[in-house]
Amino acid sequence: MTLVFEPKANRPAPTNTVGFVGWLRQNLFKDIPNTLMTILGLYLTITVVGWVLNWALFNAVWDASSRRECLDLVGRSGACWPGVVEWLPNMIYGLYPKDQVWRINLGFLALIVWLVPLWMGGVKSKVAIGLSVVAFYPFLASYFFLGGDKGPIWTALVALGLWGLVWVWSTALCERRTGLSIGTWLAQRFADADNDIAQKRVRQAAALLLFVVCVGLVSQWSLSEVRTQFWGGLFLTLVISGIGITFSLPAGILLALGRRSDMPAIAMLSTLFIELFRSVPLITILFMFNTMLPLFMPAGTEVNQLLRAIVAVCLFAAAYMAEIVRGGLQAIPKGQYEAASALGLGFWQTTTQVVMPQALKIMIPTIVGNFIGLFKDTTLVSIIGLFDLMNMARAVGEDSDWLGLFIEPFFVVSLIYFVFCFAMSSYSIGLERKLSAGRDR
Amino acid sequence: MLNCQVGLPTPGFYSLAEDGTWSGADVDLCRAVSAAIFGDPDMVEYQSVTSAVRFTALSNGESDMLSRTTTWTAVRDTQLGLDFTTVNFYDGQGFLVPADSGITSALDLDGATICVLTGTTTELNLADYFRANGMTFTPVTNENVNVLVETYLGGGCDAYTNDKSGLAARRSAFPDPSAHVLLPETVSKEPLGPVVRQGDDAWANLVRWTVFGIINAEELGVTSANVMEMTASADPNIARLLGTEGNIGEGLGVSPDFMVNVISAVGNYGEIYERHIGENTPIGIPRAGTLNALWNNGGIIYAPPFR
Repeated sequence: MTLVFEPKANRPAPTNTVGFVGWLRQNLFKDIPNTLMTILGLYLTITVVGWVLNWALFNAVWDASSRRECLDLVGRSGACWPGVVEWLPNMIYGLYPKDQVWRINLGFLALIVWLVPLWMGGVKSKVAIGLSVVAFYPFLASYFFLGGDKGPIWTALVALGLWGLVWVWSTALCERRTGLSIGTWLAQRFADADNDIAQKRVRQAAALLLFVVCVGLVSQWSLSEVRTQFWGGLFLTLVISGIGITFSLPAGILLALGRRSDMPAIAMLSTLFIELFRSVPLITILFMFNTMLPLFMPAGTEVNQLLRAIVAVCLFAAAYMAEIVRGGLQAIPKGQYEAASALGLGFWQTTTQVVMPQALKIMIPTIVGNFIGLFKDTTLVSIIGLFDLMNMARAVGEDSDWLGLFIEPFFVVSLIYFVFCFAMSSYSIGLERKLSAGRDR
Repeated sequence: MLNCQVGLPTPGFYSLAEDGTWSGADVDLCRAVSAAIFGDPDMVEYQSVTSAVRFTALSNGESDMLSRTTTWTAVRDTQLGLDFTTVNFYDGQGFLVPADSGITSALDLDGATICVLTGTTTELNLADYFRANGMTFTPVTNENVNVLVETYLGGGCDAYTNDKSGLAARRSAFPDPSAHVLLPETVSKEPLGPVVRQGDDAWANLVRWTVFGIINAEELGVTSANVMEMTASADPNIARLLGTEGNIGEGLGVSPDFMVNVISAVGNYGEIYERHIGENTPIGIPRAGTLNALWNNGGIIYAPPFR
């Protein structure tokens, strides 16, 4: 008789260690201090959330014509939203003429349309599309926002913007269908496959034809001028921080490379610039550019106030970004450089193909942190008299109908800031996860 | 275009409506000067900056004039390269306390916590007053009036101090205005008026005499409603003011009937006052019996004659 070992079936795990109950015991009620903290946390959350909900929703007033009416209805126990609702267009668009607001919407819509191909499958020229946004979109947007007369040069630049948008979409659609960019596809259709020169001609002719059409279209547009004094609210915040963010990354990369350069003049100038702008608070730089600079300029020269603020923000952001990029570059082991040299790559090839892709990946959290910081720092422009989102929110409580109403607009502003910052931060986490897929396997 | 600098929106003096237009007593001075120069009160570009940069923005040429409740002091007039033209509002600093606190005089405030705006003469006056009376206080400062008011209402300080016009305006927006009282003391002199850059005397003259003009208009009974009929008046004072006689406009470099444009655009001093800060406005500061009444009516609003 042979003895066969027959293991008994495993007993099920104790019910209090698995499932929801198990998770609760493990994480929230493990021992006495843990339990106490859980109860305290729960109590605080319920109190705070309950208070906010009561104030913002259940006790709030939605229909009133002045703050006095709100106070008579609910006193201080509920929010008074009509004032914020009445001012919401201003908080978003500033003092921009209300019948022209569609231009701002159209401008931002154009940006979204421009960027959509970056998330479409089957599109190959994503780098070119990304660059085209930075290079051409500003012309299109600034014409939508600013309007006014346009001379031949300005017409050409705006047409270039339109050209970029049309090119992005035609090439994106073409690549999805045929796998070829629009230029290559046209060239292969209309020129001999072996004749490189003829292909190039076709491509150039197509680009030129499109440009001429764009110039024709743009010269028909006529938008009334809206001076930057009327820009404000979320729109102004997005313009300043958007330009600051877009400018700071390439400028920061160049400055960081400059500071690490072997050429003493470039290294010294870069270091000087970075240290100068990093050692001074943003508010001081804004002051310098806004109130001191006109003193040093010859009488009669007038540089737009918004432009001065934007330049100040850009230079400041570039200096910070440079140090972040330098930090990232230092994290790349020397072996990478040596390996690149061993393959015969020169400086620019090493930088763009080997070092930067790795360095930028490490830097994503810091870079995005810096972007978020910059987005919030732009509130400082309210001090030099630009009506950004914060300043506009403050103006609500000074309107004689809504005098003293300031918690409500600031509550809304903080929600807006939260949405934007949280979106940036979530996107960066997603990007990190995607880019580090290989390493974390 | 006239670049006229006002402050961050403040009810009564320079307030921003949700349609983007500025209005208020100080804004009307900008409009008056614009009407005097261009014959059109709307040729004004408003600049709204914080108090901290107001003088720099004037001296660097960005603003042509400052019309924003700025107190005329010796230091500002002599050391900042500015020219105070005249006074269009006499204010003074006071204290607001809860009615049930039992405080009836500023001298009861020894050891109190006081909410005060930073970067203005208010802060300095407060320190002076307490030092002069041998009392101590703890300041609670902020640059945002609404934050201070909220602190005061929440019990964060025993008293809130500011110019009395501002205190009245803020109190009108309290949940229960009657639960707070203004103490009787006025602890400072705050003559407020338009300011220009030093070195352009003709420009200073124009601003100064536009203000004098609207004060004279009130004295002579010329209003925005009757200014056109008044141009036919036989009273030589009115004829000189409205330019039908004499050439006062010429000396200022504007058209002889510049005051007709000014008055039909913004009215006389009394009209401006009643429209923006008088009893029938949300701010509701009565004029009779205060310094801001006309000189022949118990106040000290007095302008040299147009002749």
